[in-house]
Amino acid sequence: MPHQVAWRILTDQKGRTLLAAGGIFVAVLLIFVELGFFVAVPEGGLLIYSHMRFDVLIVSDKYLFQSESGSFPQARLAAARAVPAIAAATPVYFGNAKWQDPSGGLKLDVTVIGIDPAAGVFDVPGIERQKAVLERPETVLVDSATRPLFGPLTAGRVVNIAGRRTTIGGTYQLGTGFLGLGVALASEADFFRLFPQRPQDTVNLGLVRLRPGAGPDAAARALRAALPADMRVFTRSQLFSHEVEYWTTRTATGLIFGSGLIVSFVVGIMVLYQTLATQITRQLPQFATLKAIGYSNRFLTAIVVSEALLLMIAAFVPALGAAFGVYAVVRSKTLLPLTLTATEFVVVFVLTMAMAAAASVLSLGALRRADPADVF
Amino acid sequence: MAFAISWTRLGGQSVPLAWRSLLANRRRLVRSSAGIGFAVLLMLVQLGFERGFFEASLATVSALRGDLFIMNASKYRFGSRDPFPPRDLAAARAVAGVAGVTPLYGAWQDFFWQPPGSDQPYLVQAFGFDPAQPPFLLPDVEGESARVAASDTVLVDRDARRFLGMEAAQGEAKINGRPVHIVGGFALGPDFLSDGTVMMSAATFAAMASGGRVPASELPVEFGVVTVRPGAKPAQVQQALMAALPQGLRVMTKPQLVEFERKFQSDLSSAGPIFWLGTLVGFVVGMLISYQIVYTDLSDQLPQYAMLKGMGYETGYLVRIVMTQAGLSAIAGWLPAWLVGLLVYWAIGRVALLPMQMTWQITLISLGLTLAMCLLSAALAIRRVVAADPAEIF
Repeated sequence: MPHQVAWRILTDQKGRTLLAAGGIFVAVLLIFVELGFFVAVPEGGLLIYSHMRFDVLIVSDKYLFQSESGSFPQARLAAARAVPAIAAATPVYFGNAKWQDPSGGLKLDVTVIGIDPAAGVFDVPGIERQKAVLERPETVLVDSATRPLFGPLTAGRVVNIAGRRTTIGGTYQLGTGFLGLGVALASEADFFRLFPQRPQDTVNLGLVRLRPGAGPDAAARALRAALPADMRVFTRSQLFSHEVEYWTTRTATGLIFGSGLIVSFVVGIMVLYQTLATQITRQLPQFATLKAIGYSNRFLTAIVVSEALLLMIAAFVPALGAAFGVYAVVRSKTLLPLTLTATEFVVVFVLTMAMAAAASVLSLGALRRADPADVF
Repeated sequence: MAFAISWTRLGGQSVPLAWRSLLANRRRLVRSSAGIGFAVLLMLVQLGFERGFFEASLATVSALRGDLFIMNASKYRFGSRDPFPPRDLAAARAVAGVAGVTPLYGAWQDFFWQPPGSDQPYLVQAFGFDPAQPPFLLPDVEGESARVAASDTVLVDRDARRFLGMEAAQGEAKINGRPVHIVGGFALGPDFLSDGTVMMSAATFAAMASGGRVPASELPVEFGVVTVRPGAKPAQVQQALMAALPQGLRVMTKPQLVEFERKFQSDLSSAGPIFWLGTLVGFVVGMLISYQIVYTDLSDQLPQYAMLKGMGYETGYLVRIVMTQAGLSAIAGWLPAWLVGLLVYWAIGRVALLPMQMTWQITLISLGLTLAMCLLSAALAIRRVVAADPAEIF
């Protein structure tokens, strides 16, 4: 019954209701966007990992995050392979080199990832398909998200990487994450050809795959027991929470988008409060009349809360639609992996409802002042 | 009520109708100021972040002291290692108008810092230079650089991210596994490439960079920092240097170097668009809030407006009242938001270590946007007044 009254009030002046819904729409959309960024920044840091095949990751105890991973000797991989639950342990190498066109020009920073092409490190179709290309000497595959500054990434183009003539064998689609402006993939042999000073004994990541049926937590425990104290062992989920924590607490991004989130939340409350308070003021005689003929304060409160909820839902649905659009635009412009997950949907919906609740509470003050004696 | 008072004095134009009407309902004024204020605050925060991002990334390059900078032509940004042989600088010293050339060594990917009492290495930005001629404008570096003349001593960035343990600017730490003694600090702050900065003598730098294998005199140089003789024109000296130096090197003035870095940041970083988008959202929200305020107000006052019309006042006069009121409520929302903004900037600056500053530009841009959003929404809502028909009211 109260929601019917609320519906009547809202549909009585459609223009005004539309306007209010518009304001809340923008606020909700902003929450979607800020939350998207808040989540996307660590996601960007996880991009490379989420396309790597491993159950457990072993790294140096100096590991900070993907780009500052520290290194460890090959022998640790052998020690890991000796653990019964382990099927394979594969090394991954990271190196920073300069990329320059043979004709001269800028010397750009490129991150080179060294892998064994046959080990199936990446579950990226473009890499899987071009395994044979990667095996060719002095040939690299280049991430297609490498910035235009690097020039055309056409197969067959020869560039100098770390001062050595290297052929682009092809491109693959993964994304550069936070590894820099450009990423190239090299076979192990080519990697050490590019970095001759670097000892082979400097593995950055050890990707561990388990035998069928082995549980990652038990395997991680067994690895921790088998490996010396200079190693760290992460299960996939431990690694992901470690990286997310790094990006949200150790960098400014968490705070920036977190504060944006809070401001949009407050703006949303203000818009809704503004609307509700105006409505109540305008309908004050009617509310007072209802009171005079015996309706309780609770009934009137229920009307206002229903109004708030109806407006919120009217704003939330189009904001959700618009968020999909904005995410797509941001994805294409900034290479940040903005995606609308179920979690985000639920979080924003809950925040929206909280906004409705807060605005209702604020505007109830005006309602309580509705005194039948004043009106007549 | 305000109208009742003003009508008695409606002799001339001098009655501040807009002002009266704004103050007529204090409760509504507070509500509308709060609504507009929050939208303004949203814009201020976004504008502040946008500027803070750029300022942070330009902090190091802006702090350089020198008239001209010699660097590799293949260098694409300030913070990218691309050094040249030190002997190339010899030619520069002989160029007319050059008072002095001092090498600046830099590293962004190769110096790992272990904080006092910790063995976790963190990547930091590092500079090496002649302690007698520090090429930085930072007052503490100028004052304390003589102390790093002793080998294995460093100055650290007190404003670096906290986990680097540089805040106290004292104690024993390690760089690339070698022990160093912290002899002082300066205030620079992190950017998006480095969490902190260390500065040292060229000799210490060379020892850390090469593990003691290469002496400073043979270590490749990142920048040649040129001081121009008093009276000489930097632009002319720049031309002469470019002619005298080997091919593959280029020379920039300080403003050119700052612009070079700014351009790199704005072309390749997505920070700019993200915060402009946020500002735009604040503007749209503000417009919606302000439209609602003006619209409600106009609906409430419609009989009075119609009355004024009936008495013979021109539509133009009424439009002026509405617009003035919109302008006033813009300022009533903007002013408190600006004050709160100062506080928010201070808090964010401290927590995020971002250089958040309320500049004249941000103040003016936000005021301009606030006025624009309020006037624009008033212009949209004003049709009601224009259409107000005295005959309908009575």
